[in-house]
Amino acid sequence: MEGRLDIKGLQLIRPQKGNGALSFSLDAGAAVVVVGRNGVGKSTLLQTLAGLLPARQGSVRWNGEDVHRMSPEARAGYAALVTSTPPRSSAMTVADVMELGLRAGGRISGPAQVQTAMDTAGIAQWSGLSLNALSDGMAQRVMMARAAAQGEGMLLLDEPTAFLDVVGRRDMLHQMGEWRSAGRILWLATHDLEGAEAAGWVTHWLHLETGTDTVGTLYPGPFVAEVARAALMRQ
Amino acid sequence: MISQRLWTLLLVALVVLLFGVGLFSGPADLSWSEQSSALLTGEGVAGTILWRLRLPRLFMAVLSGSALAMSGLLMQTYFRNALAGPSVLGVTSGATLGVALVSLGGWAVGLTWGWTSAVVGALLGAWGVMVLLGTVVSWFRSRTALLIFGLMVGYLTGAMVTVLQAGAEAQALQAFVVWGMGSFGQSTWSGVGVLALLFAWASFWTFRMTAVLDMWTLGRLTARSMGVNEKQLTWGVLGATGALAGLVTAWCGPIAFLGLATPHLVRIVLPKARHRGLLVPVMLTGSALALVSDLAVRFAGIPLNAVLSMMGAPVVLWLLLKKRSNQANH
Repeated sequence: MEGRLDIKGLQLIRPQKGNGALSFSLDAGAAVVVVGRNGVGKSTLLQTLAGLLPARQGSVRWNGEDVHRMSPEARAGYAALVTSTPPRSSAMTVADVMELGLRAGGRISGPAQVQTAMDTAGIAQWSGLSLNALSDGMAQRVMMARAAAQGEGMLLLDEPTAFLDVVGRRDMLHQMGEWRSAGRILWLATHDLEGAEAAGWVTHWLHLETGTDTVGTLYPGPFVAEVARAALMRQ
Repeated sequence: MISQRLWTLLLVALVVLLFGVGLFSGPADLSWSEQSSALLTGEGVAGTILWRLRLPRLFMAVLSGSALAMSGLLMQTYFRNALAGPSVLGVTSGATLGVALVSLGGWAVGLTWGWTSAVVGALLGAWGVMVLLGTVVSWFRSRTALLIFGLMVGYLTGAMVTVLQAGAEAQALQAFVVWGMGSFGQSTWSGVGVLALLFAWASFWTFRMTAVLDMWTLGRLTARSMGVNEKQLTWGVLGATGALAGLVTAWCGPIAFLGLATPHLVRIVLPKARHRGLLVPVMLTGSALALVSDLAVRFAGIPLNAVLSMMGAPVVLWLLLKKRSNQANH
């Protein structure tokens, strides 16, 4: 799917301090790593881009359409968000979650479609397990697969690897690269600078900071952990 | 899938059986032939007993059980709290205050067709608590805070009811205390009709929302990202459960535990059912429990809330123990 994201004069509702605005455009295939210190608004930015939080100023447009004016259903098909803590449930199985993801994306699905989506994501072997039976890493992979089945335009990952071990992180970052090549815009907010550098697929990185005129600076890739760290320490 | 259908059929059979037992047995000494002909014609003493007393009572039990059980399921899902239910979160307390204001405080107004002042008072009381819950729900990200909220609402309304009781006349006071023990015995056809209409609307809405309720269990932010309209869900759940719990409370008294315990009982049998598969078994189990308790009321003379508390309290204790062992396993 072809897609273009236009961010114009965007100010976030949190934190209140920053008064600079974000303005830039991205084309499908872009992969942006968002870095910044705690409380700087990384989660707020991702939720605003997804249309889940209002903007204080400015606009976010997907292929020309204001995401804050989309219906909840249309928004779900345009962008899918993954939070850092995977949900827990003793009733919902992996197949259930995938079915809901397809449904949310407007692709009402039969069992065959669910199976295909699970095969694509490499999680078919867990199909009948409940979310409670999965480790954090497994559950998070399921939530990412669900997001990929749902959002056609953008995937927004809010520190998805925060609770994962070394191997889990590496696998997940590798998988994100595959989604990027599927022609979406990928957003990854993370504190794992080395992991993002090793992933190798980053096309841009965004440094968010407060207390200055600029709330964020977009740099072209590749992402180098040392450079990002220096930028973060400068504040 | 097969086991879900099988269970549903078994539950239907159980509800029909209990309904039949309730219909054809009672203190009045009536023969089979008398009862079956009276059921068709509605004539004579037997006809009056069956059509005026037993049938409305049984239908009220079936509807109230279903309505409370569905309310419990909706609230447990919406608040992501296994201990949520109309009687836990203060909804029933609100309805009780509404009834007390009318029956003890003398705030009665003349209305017809089942819409007695007590019913209106109960509805307003239940909705009052629901609006309060809906307004402050974002403060209750912590599960415990929500339960404490329900407890405090219960204390506050309880205090106001006590004040009303202190100033009430002996007769009104006695009627109120008896109502507070809970009973399906005061049911009328108009009451059954009003509850049936509301229940039909609420269950239709809930059936349409089953996928949304599933998404909601994945977490608020994830669900919103999946296109769930949070406002619509919030006011739908609060409106439906408030109305159902309010109406049931008005006619049958503040019924304890049915809403809280029923969804858990069903989940023991159907641990992996999603909302679409849970809903009908939960409703039927609620009906069956209400019918069983009503039989205990009629034949053992124990008040309804005593029966339900004896059945429900162990379920809640078991839930707490199960939670503990789950945490230990992690």
